Amino acid sequence: MSGLLHFSEHSLQEFALGFMALVYIIRLVWLIHFKAGRDRQAQTGAANTNPRKGFIYSWANIAMPWAMESTRTKFFLYVQFAIFHLGVTAAIGLSFVIPYAPGLLESAALVIILKTIIGAAFIVGVMRFVRRLSNKYMRAISSPDDYFSLTLLTAWFFFAYLSVPNSTESGEWHLLGYFILTAFFLVYVPFSKISHYLYYPFTRYYLGKTMGHRGVYPMRHVPQPREQR
Amino acid sequence: MGNRKRSYKAEKVIERMGKKLNRQMVASLVACVHCGLCTEACHYVLANPGDPTYAPAYKADQVRKFFKRHFDWTGRILPWWVKAKSLYTDEELNELKDTVFGKCTNCRRCSLNCPMGVDYATFNRMARGLLVSVGVMPEGVAIVSKDQWEIGNQMGVLKEDYVETLDWLSDELEDELGDPAVRIPIDKMDADVVYSINPREIKYDPRTISDAAKIFYVAGENWTMPSECWDMTNFGLFSGDDDLGGAVGRRLYEKVVELRGGKLVISECGHGYRSTRCEAPNWAGMDVEFEMESSVLTMLRYIKEGRIRVDKTKNKIPVTFHDSCNNARSCGLFEEPRELLSLVVEDFREMYPNRAENYCCTGGGGAMSMSEYTPQRLKSAVTKANQMKDTGAEIVVTSCHNCVDGLTDLIRHYKLGMQVTQLVNLVANAVVVEKKVAVPVEAVPVMAEDNVLKGYRILVTDDEPDFVTFVSAVLEDHGASVSRAYSGDEALELARREKPNLITLDIAMPGKSGKEVFEEMRADSDLKRIPVCIITGRPELRRLIYDRPVPPPEGYMDKPVTEDGLLLNVRKILETAHEKKSSEA
Ligand code: SF4
Ligand code: SF4
Repeated sequence: MSGLLHFSEHSLQEFALGFMALVYIIRLVWLIHFKAGRDRQAQTGAANTNPRKGFIYSWANIAMPWAMESTRTKFFLYVQFAIFHLGVTAAIGLSFVIPYAPGLLESAALVIILKTIIGAAFIVGVMRFVRRLSNKYMRAISSPDDYFSLTLLTAWFFFAYLSVPNSTESGEWHLLGYFILTAFFLVYVPFSKISHYLYYPFTRYYLGKTMGHRGVYPMRHVPQPREQR
Repeated sequence: MGNRKRSYKAEKVIERMGKKLNRQMVASLVACVHCGLCTEACHYVLANPGDPTYAPAYKADQVRKFFKRHFDWTGRILPWWVKAKSLYTDEELNELKDTVFGKCTNCRRCSLNCPMGVDYATFNRMARGLLVSVGVMPEGVAIVSKDQWEIGNQMGVLKEDYVETLDWLSDELEDELGDPAVRIPIDKMDADVVYSINPREIKYDPRTISDAAKIFYVAGENWTMPSECWDMTNFGLFSGDDDLGGAVGRRLYEKVVELRGGKLVISECGHGYRSTRCEAPNWAGMDVEFEMESSVLTMLRYIKEGRIRVDKTKNKIPVTFHDSCNNARSCGLFEEPRELLSLVVEDFREMYPNRAENYCCTGGGGAMSMSEYTPQRLKSAVTKANQMKDTGAEIVVTSCHNCVDGLTDLIRHYKLGMQVTQLVNLVANAVVVEKKVAVPVEAVPVMAEDNVLKGYRILVTDDEPDFVTFVSAVLEDHGASVSRAYSGDEALELARREKPNLITLDIAMPGKSGKEVFEEMRADSDLKRIPVCIITGRPELRRLIYDRPVPPPEGYMDKPVTEDGLLLNVRKILETAHEKKSSEA
């Protein structure tokens, strides 16, 4: 392993992770310094709902594609979402496995699983990019950050895919690409839309808490035989 | 942020945004990933395919962009990268007004369809409030807010008119049920129920009040209506003005305490229920100690407790139910209306999607008061119209006065031929009235029902001959002698010649409009005392009549009108005018 690759796998990652953590903390402090609105009113709606059930349901919503009309009627997009985020998890996991537990990649099963997930995520990344470019609505709401973040992640998947199973037989360029992109990604994340997962618990908590207090969440799923689309 | 000069109003909007932001809003403002999943949740998008400016995320970005520019670091450092942009001119504020008021009814459907939990409707309301704070708002919003601030209710109903209408309704009920105990109790202390209403009921739909009174009477309820501070609607919800929202809520809460009322019952109104029951304690910063409930729950309770009996065979016509967004998506009130319907109608047909997934009537968020956006509102109503048509029902029931207006308008626009009614009307129709008359009632000469208008001369004015024929026939069948006018000029000429007891007047007519006729009449010493009942197919033009420096018309009805509704209104106006004349004499 070259010195550059070693630096990329260790010092660079550690610095990037530390930086990301610091900026995240600042970001959270910033968010929390805004006062939370209060629900003074007595509870409405069904007696068996309450704020706690509401926010738990709200957090779990992501794993319930049937819960929202938008995911129910666009199930393919939901599947893409699931694959993409599994890909992110796998690629982040890989950035720890390679430097700290490379032995795990001797398992052929793990290699196949990682390759499948990350490869599929790469394809979804490309599909999402095409959708963002070709769909009029998506173009209208997209910012340079949206395009760049998606490009960055898709390229990162590409290098991550090549980096499994941590082989340097055909050179180090793919591993270098992967770790440099990982570091860049970690530093860039707090400034971009990719940081959405930091806010996700808050938005869903507050929406769920209010909707639970109002008796809307957990939603009562009544069959809607005639969806509008 | 460059040296570009910012207008005073833009400066204030930005400054005030900082004060309005709370954690929920900030989280929603930063969390959008522009995934587009909410796009087709919005009825505006469905009705305007291919126009991305209606997409919820696009609309949200019009607010988000100046939030990012001033409050979020990425937008401060690299504005173009995240599409952050400040506000500079009054022109930009006007464009924002057209988005937050004209392209969104705050129905919250996109909020419930966002995987991130971004609650656009909430910060859209905040943006409305910011614009209102610098005087940038649709004219209708300004007028209604002013009435609610100054007169205490959003339709500017004066106390005398309110009490007079309740008295008249009491007379009618007493005649119908033959029992003086049925009269509406006003300002009664220590009542178990204080009943609050929407001013629309006093002005355009008094039957909902008498129907509620009938139900309270049959249930043996100890109830009352306040003579003041009785408006449970709250334009603060629509205008985003928390101060107005808090003041309106506080007035009502304090009135209940002053009357030592046991419980506040809120008549069927989505935004009224949401504001009074849920939001106003937050806006007013006060904890409300007494119980508050929707009249839907009250009626259901009466049936379950055996306090009233209902006969569903009285309501045979197929009905469907429209969930008001405020009731269903913001208050969880969707099962009880269905339960109640199942008890009082024979043929109920579900509308899809429904409950918290229902589409807005398109008149929500104060849209009915913003006439400048009427064409886009009606266009966006196509989804709702299709939903309703698919049910095959003849009547659409809703627990919201705003929805009644919105649905009536779209039914007319899309020629659905349906009627709109409320649960209170169906329950009152189905309620079994046991004879309770114990007190001997002074004999009152009761006019035969088909001659109730005998001796009255009524001038019917409308440019639609069919409508004139219909109204004339109803009035003549009940004894009135009727003159007909098909234009404004003709109406004035006949009014001067015949001095009728009442004029029904359309607003939109070719040539001299109803508004001009009305103003001329009010300015003419010979005609100004003739009562006028506006009957229009364009409710958005109401303000043309009510926003005049002359006394308002004595009555108002939306088309289509029913025979019963017409008679009820005409009788009310004539009897009130008669009483006024007698007391003046
Ligand atoms: S669904 Fe939510 S995250 Fe996606 S574009 Fe709409 S508001 Fe943004
Ligand atoms: S709140 Fe309703 S009207 Fe407004 S953007 Fe969302 S779905 Fe459309």
